[in-house]
Amino acid sequence: MRITTSMVQRSILADLNTLSVKLARTQTKAASGREITRPADNPFGTSKAMGLRSNLAANDQYMRNIDDARGWMDATESALDSITQFVKRAQDLVVQASTDTADATSRSAVAAEIAQIIQGVKETANSSYGDRYIMSGTETSVPPYKLGDDDTYQGNDAGHDPALAGIVREIGPGVTMTINSVASELLGSGRSDPGDGKLLNVLRDIADHLAADDGAALRSGDLSALKQQLDGVLEVRARNGSMSNRLDAASTRMDQIGLALTDQLSKTEDADFAQTMIDFNSQSAAYQAALRAGATIIQSSLMDFLR
Amino acid sequence: MPISSFYGLQTSLRGLIAQQRMLDTTGHNIANASTVGYSRQEATLAASRALQLQVAGASNATGAHLGSGVDVQGFRRVRDQFLDAQYRGQNSSLSDWKARADALDSAELSLAEPGDNGINAMLGNFWKAWSDLSKTPDDAAAKTALVQQAGALTDSIHSVRQQMVWAQESAMGQYDAIAGPGGNVERIASELAGLNKTISSFIVNGDSPNDLMDRRDVLLDQLSTYGQLSVEQLDGGSMNVAFVDGSTGLSYPIVTDRTADWAGPPTGDWSPGGQMGGLLAAGKSPGGMIDGYLATLDQFASSLASTVNAAYGGDFFSIGTPPGASIAVDAAIQADPKTIVAGTGASGSNDVALAISQLKGNASVDGAYKAFVAKVGGDLNEAQRMQANAQILTDSVEDRRQSVAGVSMDEEMTNLVRFQRAYQASARAMSTMDEMLDVLINRTGRVGL
Repeated sequence: MRITTSMVQRSILADLNTLSVKLARTQTKAASGREITRPADNPFGTSKAMGLRSNLAANDQYMRNIDDARGWMDATESALDSITQFVKRAQDLVVQASTDTADATSRSAVAAEIAQIIQGVKETANSSYGDRYIMSGTETSVPPYKLGDDDTYQGNDAGHDPALAGIVREIGPGVTMTINSVASELLGSGRSDPGDGKLLNVLRDIADHLAADDGAALRSGDLSALKQQLDGVLEVRARNGSMSNRLDAASTRMDQIGLALTDQLSKTEDADFAQTMIDFNSQSAAYQAALRAGATIIQSSLMDFLR
Repeated sequence: MPISSFYGLQTSLRGLIAQQRMLDTTGHNIANASTVGYSRQEATLAASRALQLQVAGASNATGAHLGSGVDVQGFRRVRDQFLDAQYRGQNSSLSDWKARADALDSAELSLAEPGDNGINAMLGNFWKAWSDLSKTPDDAAAKTALVQQAGALTDSIHSVRQQMVWAQESAMGQYDAIAGPGGNVERIASELAGLNKTISSFIVNGDSPNDLMDRRDVLLDQLSTYGQLSVEQLDGGSMNVAFVDGSTGLSYPIVTDRTADWAGPPTGDWSPGGQMGGLLAAGKSPGGMIDGYLATLDQFASSLASTVNAAYGGDFFSIGTPPGASIAVDAAIQADPKTIVAGTGASGSNDVALAISQLKGNASVDGAYKAFVAKVGGDLNEAQRMQANAQILTDSVEDRRQSVAGVSMDEEMTNLVRFQRAYQASARAMSTMDEMLDVLINRTGRVGL
């Protein structure tokens, strides 16, 4: 093949250009730290990276939702713990007052304390998380109970009644959890709904029996009724405890998934820095070699050797 | 038959003249070494008509031929028409992919993926805002934040769509500048018609207007950048040139003999290949690639709106035509974010917010957008790859063409030496003749003087 001057120049320029393009690409990779800077670099990888980024963002959100749910559960647990203490105290008082040695005066003193316990239980049920009441179903802006003689439950049964959606948190992809306990389940509506057999009703009955100096009633029905209420509270606490465990497990799982996702995203999207630097060095060496060779070829001609 | 004493002087003179013409041609080649489209020229030499002699004792008595030196018959350009045709074909295909890659590049750039500012990230933030609202369903701040995020999402959809429309318009603008009235093709057509006229008038007279023919070939190369060409050589040095539709086989004349015929591109659909073909493939509406992207983006916007609205149970997004440019948060919600309904029950209920938050990763929204980005990236990737391949093929044909037609400096220098030596030798032959005649004229018949 006959090699002409313009061919030599064109091919040197084309080679230099190819090498510069490679160098520029490696330079972008090193500066951005990214293997993929544009979809055309790797369409499949881009779509994978986008999916991983979305998953990572969602995972982050699940973690925050779980933290919020935990806060809510902790507030509920501490309220239930206080109620447990109140019920135990009421038990002690009823045991004291039900003995035959107790007289009307001491029973009325106990009755006063029971009245305080009733207010205490209602106050505890009114606890809130953030500015939301935690035990009034989805009526989170309404306290479950009014203080005083009215024991009517003010909230709704959402969360206890399976037909109503309660306070729900999304704790994983497609996984939701109802986190609220409804006060009416344990406390009932007291005198407003006589015979519901719930805690307020039982306490009000005890107060009546104390006021009436009715030791027999205290001994026969009230003690066992209180025992039953205590079991009820403990049962709800056990249920909450197992839900907290579920949250912990979900949180651990999200942590692990988050790590795995970050790792995968990095493998898909990030440049291998060592590899990039090695590439950069070998490409710049090739570029310099091409420059030197090109310069030598262009400069020399037959004219240098003809007199 | 006697031969003139001065015969040899004449022979040497012919040699001197021929070598001088060769040196002139070499000078012309060197001067045009960098001229675009120049093909090297060479003088064609032939031995001049010999002198017929009667030689005594020749066996067949037909005489002998005494050489009379050399004649310059003409100057020809060294060029291979077949390589020209090959080059133009490859060049069309290269420009086709290059135009596509350039147009798609600006469309793809508008996506800003993968990154923290693209639609994908905005979509993620939008779902997050709903999830946050589900935790505080009656909180005005969470609702305002949600409206902000939704606004950022619709803004980024609008901006991507607008930039794609611009990419489309810019491709069609280039197409018009090439093919439209007063465009490049029209200009080249009238120059070609003029060249056809001049060239054929020279050729009729028996001349070979090498440099004009080079100029015509340059124009044809340029036309082959714009579209697939058919070139028909006519007797008498003129030619017919037309664009050829690669799929229908129809031809659209540019120049017929001495008349410029280009009357703009056909109004209907055509696939001319070359830059025009690439620009049309990327930018034409309807049917172009960017047009397809816009349709997909609109589809994505409407399915985002309808999916969210269905879960919301009302109008969260309002949408018009085209969906991608008009999707927006419903005006009533924008005016008062507190009106956002997070749950169907009491103030603490969050079933609506939860349902929308759970739409994330939805195949018809997130999935559709991901597939869209992969499609745009894949198309551009293909165009760039094909462009690189076409570049290699074009370069190799151009190398072969240059190998035939290009000027090699080393070769020209060698020729320079060769012709100079030949010139010197012819001059030496002449002075030998001169010395011979000197003997005859000045020294003969001087016996005894």
